[in-house]
Amino acid sequence: MADRARRKKWWRPRRWTTLRRLVQYLALLAFVVLFVWSRRGGWPASLVNIPMRLDPLTMLAHLLASRTFLAGSALALITLGLTLTLGRAWCGWLCPLGTTLDLLPLRRRRYKAAGPSDSWRSVKYVLLLTTLAAALFANLTLLIFDPLTIFFRTLSLSLWPAVDQIVTGAEFVLYGVPVLRPAISTFDGLVRPRLLPPEPVFYRYTSLYAGLFLGLVLLNLVAHRFWCRYLCPLGGLLGLLSKVAIVRREVAADCTQCDVCARVCPTGTVQPEAGYASDPAECTMCMECVAACPRGSAEFPIHLSLAERQPYHPGRRQALASLGGALAGVGLLGSGLAARRDHPYLIRPPGARENNFLSKCIRCGECMRACPTSALQPALAEAGVEGLWTPLLVPRLGYCDYSCTACGQVCPVQAIPPLSLEEKREQVIGLAYIDQNRCIPWTDNQDCIVCEEMCPVPDKAVKLELVEVLNANGQWVSVQRPHVIRERCIGCGICEYKCPLNGQAAIRVYVPNDVI
Amino acid sequence: MTHFTRRDFLRKLTAGGATLASYWLLSACRGGQTVVPAAPLSPTSTQSPSPTDIPPSPTAAADQAGLPTPGSQPESAPTTTTAETGPPTAAPSMQHPDMVVARGDQPEELVRQALSAIGGIERFVQPGHDVIVKPNICVAYHTYEYAATTNPWVVGSLVKLCLEAGARRVRVLDYPFGGTAEEAYARSGIQEQVQAAGGSMEIMARFKYVNTDIPQGLDLRQVDIYEDVLSADVLIDVPIAKHHSLARLTLGMKNLMGIINNRPAIHRNLGQRLADLSSRIQPTLTVVDAVRILMDHGPTGGNLDDVKQLNTLIVSPDIVAADSYAATLFGMQPSDLSYIQAGTAMGLGRSDLASLKIEEITVGG
Repeated sequence: MADRARRKKWWRPRRWTTLRRLVQYLALLAFVVLFVWSRRGGWPASLVNIPMRLDPLTMLAHLLASRTFLAGSALALITLGLTLTLGRAWCGWLCPLGTTLDLLPLRRRRYKAAGPSDSWRSVKYVLLLTTLAAALFANLTLLIFDPLTIFFRTLSLSLWPAVDQIVTGAEFVLYGVPVLRPAISTFDGLVRPRLLPPEPVFYRYTSLYAGLFLGLVLLNLVAHRFWCRYLCPLGGLLGLLSKVAIVRREVAADCTQCDVCARVCPTGTVQPEAGYASDPAECTMCMECVAACPRGSAEFPIHLSLAERQPYHPGRRQALASLGGALAGVGLLGSGLAARRDHPYLIRPPGARENNFLSKCIRCGECMRACPTSALQPALAEAGVEGLWTPLLVPRLGYCDYSCTACGQVCPVQAIPPLSLEEKREQVIGLAYIDQNRCIPWTDNQDCIVCEEMCPVPDKAVKLELVEVLNANGQWVSVQRPHVIRERCIGCGICEYKCPLNGQAAIRVYVPNDVI
Repeated sequence: MTHFTRRDFLRKLTAGGATLASYWLLSACRGGQTVVPAAPLSPTSTQSPSPTDIPPSPTAAADQAGLPTPGSQPESAPTTTTAETGPPTAAPSMQHPDMVVARGDQPEELVRQALSAIGGIERFVQPGHDVIVKPNICVAYHTYEYAATTNPWVVGSLVKLCLEAGARRVRVLDYPFGGTAEEAYARSGIQEQVQAAGGSMEIMARFKYVNTDIPQGLDLRQVDIYEDVLSADVLIDVPIAKHHSLARLTLGMKNLMGIINNRPAIHRNLGQRLADLSSRIQPTLTVVDAVRILMDHGPTGGNLDDVKQLNTLIVSPDIVAADSYAATLFGMQPSDLSYIQAGTAMGLGRSDLASLKIEEITVGG
């Protein structure tokens, strides 16, 4: 008895929130660390793929759309099991986006009355149902709203390039001071190989992704965790499952209706008008109410029943509307321009073109992160609305390294197949064409052999032809002119990347052509 | 915990900004952007301090160009550091050959025997020296058998020899144009041999290039050169002999392109510009790896049919001479290569093979 009293004294309710924060920070750290080491030469793919594979929404949508089951996606069952036991604990304790939003509580007072109406909560369910319905029709476009893809996309395309710029800029400045040189050298030697990209990375519209993320954070001004409450489709999925979760919040009879729990609840689901009860589909098990309650009236007992239905929970009407919306969307996208014929520069990662890429890619951006040359970029218009933020190769920004298989290794759903180096070298991802109107040997009659020099194919796909030509001054000069040998070119794009012309290269890689 | 007020924040921001600004000022006070940091390159041979030795005539031109006599103190050298490096041929020693060509099927033994024939590594590396070895690791694509990258055992045993001679540290570096340095170092096999020998692989950092004047340059007058190469005591240039469609062959002088930043700039008028670069960065020793040579589809290679095994190593303190001999391995004349022509004209070395004292040795069975 005395022992129990002492234990009770030691474990105060407030410790719950401390423990939760600790778990949140550790999980956030783990997600970032796994992201950082998903670089080539980092940790094995089976490890760095864990975060995306824990995500039941992307895994379920991928299963529906691709009709293939990946052994690795079984990891999502962990999250599902957790949710069936503890409700949306993922959202409150583990989700990196949720933790980030918790770290930026732009709104000090979390009282729900100030937020938007509860009916907004149904948005996430509609988004969820539409995503899954579209996945049934082999479309995964809406996975751009998955919280993990948002988190990793922002890290890959905005945060890490920006950090790299800042660190490199600082190194440039400080290296100018002779006494600091050894220190800067050592620092760079320690930090860059482990944390930063080896080469400067550039992505198209980095600020766009940062801006979208910032917008998400700013929604915290309207209501704390606005995203998690009203929009997150993964939250919707886990919320639906939470309705049968075993551990759910309950208010004891000795509640004095002091209103503290309603004030501290980060998702605003404690309803004073309903005796301070909460909706398990909205509760993230954050334990703030337990810590705040002066009488210990907020409890989390075991249930084996279905939670009460809330007006904003999806019903037949929402389900039918989502299905209809998905159908209309898929129909419209399928009749769009992008579906008719490939964009000329829609160069997909090696091995991706021939395998129904759009119904496999979950838009997580891991490949763009892993690509050591930042050749893989998020598609904007090239693949149509349907293919928004799927990876494509932009050779002017980076080339497909002949010795690299990173993108196929890190893809958590094998949308980019995990090829061996020998197989990958055989993949024809594009074809190079020379613009004879701009190429130096063709227009200026001067030697420039850069594309030939760079071509990695053993029997060079760029051949030089020695010709005698009359130059602008009326002199006969001999010049080596490049030609592309179509059947040898694999479209890696190093010729376009290294072409010394400013602006557009005089040799450009286009989508492969079946005719040649 | 006390509150961190806005005022505190601004104060600290200002202090930080002022510190940064003072760094900027300090670095501006270095006096002009083109001044090279003090790089005391010692004369590469101090074994024969007697200037009374009769210098071989082709180096006389270099002597007239204001080179210090071999016995002079390197610290007192003028700020135009080209003079400090001085072509090693300026410190002649009649007993040493100008070049050693070694043949044999053991790359490590080739290096050892060739260096002892040229006068020992001690002739070039003194205790406490900071040594940089520059092999050709141009791509991350193939293993050494494809002859796109320098033979790893040649590099490894050079590192070992330098350390045996008492070098403070030996770093090996190159800047691959295809694939990352990390990958290229590993796939070439060079990293393994260098680390086994006790040296280190340096991944070249973007911020370490220093805008450098080339006082003797005829066409290229300024270029961004890797700082560590400028400040090293000894630079050993270890190219692999291979085909290149513009330069025709990639040899010692072409291999120096790996230490500059803006390579497209050097492609026009390549021969003269390579010679200009070599006039600023004169390797203490050039070791041409012709164990395997790449006859076609260079510099990237990838086809074993293009590879010819010659089991040959060319060692010379004279980069032009080493390149000239290597050209003959491909059935070319030294004068066929524009950079050898330009280098000879500038007095960087000798390409007239007949006048050179070449020692040819056979190593092993």
